Amino acid sequence: MSAAAARALVVDDERMNREVIVANLRVAGFETVTAEDGLQAWEILDAHPGAFDVILLDRRMPRMDGMELLRKLKDDERLDHIPVIMQTAYADPQDVTDGIKAGAYYYLAKPLDRRLLLSVTEAAIADHQRRQRLLDDLDKRTTAMLLLDSGTFRFRTLDEGHTLAVALARACPQARHLVAGLSELFTNAVEHGNLGIGYDEKAQLLENRRWRQEIEARLDTPQGRNRRVEVQVTRQDDSISFVIRDQGDGFDWRGFGQISPERAFAPHGRGIALARNLAFDQVEYNESGNQVCARLNLAARPDDQEAPVCAIASSLNVAAPPLVSEEIQLARAMQLELLPQPKALDDLLRRSGLHLSAHFETSSSLGGDLWGVQVVDQYRTGLWVADFSGHGLVAALNVFRLHALIAQCAPVADMPAAFLSELSRRLSDLLPVGQYATMIYGVVDQSAGLFRYAAAAMPPPLLRQADGQIEKGDGAGLPLGLSSRVTYVERQMKLAPSGLLFLASDGLADNPDCDGVKLGNAGIKALIQESGQQCVADSVLAPFLARVARPLRDDLTAVCCRLP
Amino acid sequence: MKYRIVDEENGPTLVLSDQLLFDHRDLFDTAIDKLLARKQPKVVVDMAGLSYMDSAGLGMLLTLRDRADRAQVAVTLRKPGPEVAELLDLACFESLFTIERS
Repeated sequence: MSAAAARALVVDDERMNREVIVANLRVAGFETVTAEDGLQAWEILDAHPGAFDVILLDRRMPRMDGMELLRKLKDDERLDHIPVIMQTAYADPQDVTDGIKAGAYYYLAKPLDRRLLLSVTEAAIADHQRRQRLLDDLDKRTTAMLLLDSGTFRFRTLDEGHTLAVALARACPQARHLVAGLSELFTNAVEHGNLGIGYDEKAQLLENRRWRQEIEARLDTPQGRNRRVEVQVTRQDDSISFVIRDQGDGFDWRGFGQISPERAFAPHGRGIALARNLAFDQVEYNESGNQVCARLNLAARPDDQEAPVCAIASSLNVAAPPLVSEEIQLARAMQLELLPQPKALDDLLRRSGLHLSAHFETSSSLGGDLWGVQVVDQYRTGLWVADFSGHGLVAALNVFRLHALIAQCAPVADMPAAFLSELSRRLSDLLPVGQYATMIYGVVDQSAGLFRYAAAAMPPPLLRQADGQIEKGDGAGLPLGLSSRVTYVERQMKLAPSGLLFLASDGLADNPDCDGVKLGNAGIKALIQESGQQCVADSVLAPFLARVARPLRDDLTAVCCRLP
Repeated sequence: MKYRIVDEENGPTLVLSDQLLFDHRDLFDTAIDKLLARKQPKVVVDMAGLSYMDSAGLGMLLTLRDRADRAQVAVTLRKPGPEVAELLDLACFESLFTIERS
């Protein structure tokens, strides 16, 4: 995830729930702090008001429940801006409405869906950061706009809209609220109006972190270059009105303007309601939705009036989270803990200059894939991806076995072939017939400039050189665990500076997309070829992840290692 | 996965078609039961009609090999299609089975 080291406070009285959330957030690169109830959370927040970017809050807890903590946060100006994501196992519309009114920004249903947890958390932080930037800018602008009586403005891009929102808000009372409201309406006019990005499409783009990119791309089409958003501002004695008109085909604005608890669970779609409730006294769209009139009454409006921030969302088509037992959730959290944690990857980067990133996604709650890092010394780093036959619970239990056995093979960590032979020997004592693992284990040897590896029936390692050429290795070898006396061969690839080493499980080539088409080895090569120099596993896979059919048919792991 | 067993000169032949996937384990086990119940020294698995096999399919073949070994029966894999052959080669199954290529 891009917002490096964003910090989340996870408040839940049940240890297992905390662990599940923490495990997921950590894998995504968040720092986490936990509290066991509202009171403990309050003590932490009170002592460190500037320390958190988002709060994940359970509703029902002893001592101080989620609603009470939420009210205290919203009454405290040091803390009232931190986005709060309420979790609820009940999904009672009244509960949700109460939370929205009290200022909960987003909702998550239990049991938690990992993808939704991450996309909602990231969206909450991004929205929050954007609003903070607007407020910062607001303080910097001059006040000439205060002289504005009426005027017409035109803009094309989101940045221009941002600048205009700040300038106009500066000319009005309640500028701090107004700037957010105008910015939301301007953003809508560009993305949903002129650029024609639909609601579901935006959800997809956000999830794949391609929203910005898509906006830029569409702004650069002939249509995007020609279309403008027009803003007419009229100041009268008792009101200021903003008429915002885009050149799109309009969009279905109904349903975005009011509180709707059943739609509070999506990662975006809060703009219009936010504008209406926070900034304006009236927000009216024309029939087709390409023109909106927002009015601000200048009659007495107490400055300290704290309008609720609303969580409104349209019908994002998210499948209901699968019902999994608490034991499975715990097992899942434990499995995620087996993966290298962000701190270890940071250490590796500092020590050896290797930038390591991975995408790990299971086809059901539990998976049969695993990847890891094995530090040999300053110049040599072991890197591996393994995939157990089958998937689900049995494969996952085998993954725990493998993880334990790998630690025992550390003495031969610098000898890939010996490493796999030893691992295979130990596994064959444990596994019943028909169960096996495939694996690639290699040493990134920076002193020799080589990737020395051995493979047991894995997709070939791929190496992108600085000139963009892609070299394909060889993944052939007997699967692990078949017999106690299997030997493997060591192969090697020559490393050069700025190279990119790419390892993946067969889930990448084999999981079909929505049209039933598989990526295959050629597709993987193309993904890597098209990725930038600073790519990470998620960005390399983004086009694939956007189209792959879910639930995945097979577990998927991809590891990117960027060389200095 | 679909299967039928044909008694040929070289021994009983398990003719597979469609796809061999994780979900077909029980069906494949039943097929092995029937195949080995013929009590012939050699059996053949005809893979020509198999368009795809996932990694669990390899596991099923290993189970077949294990059970056949114990019954002292030799297993030949016949005519795997390109995609299936690629997987068999990746896993070096030539060292475990006799593979007749098309």
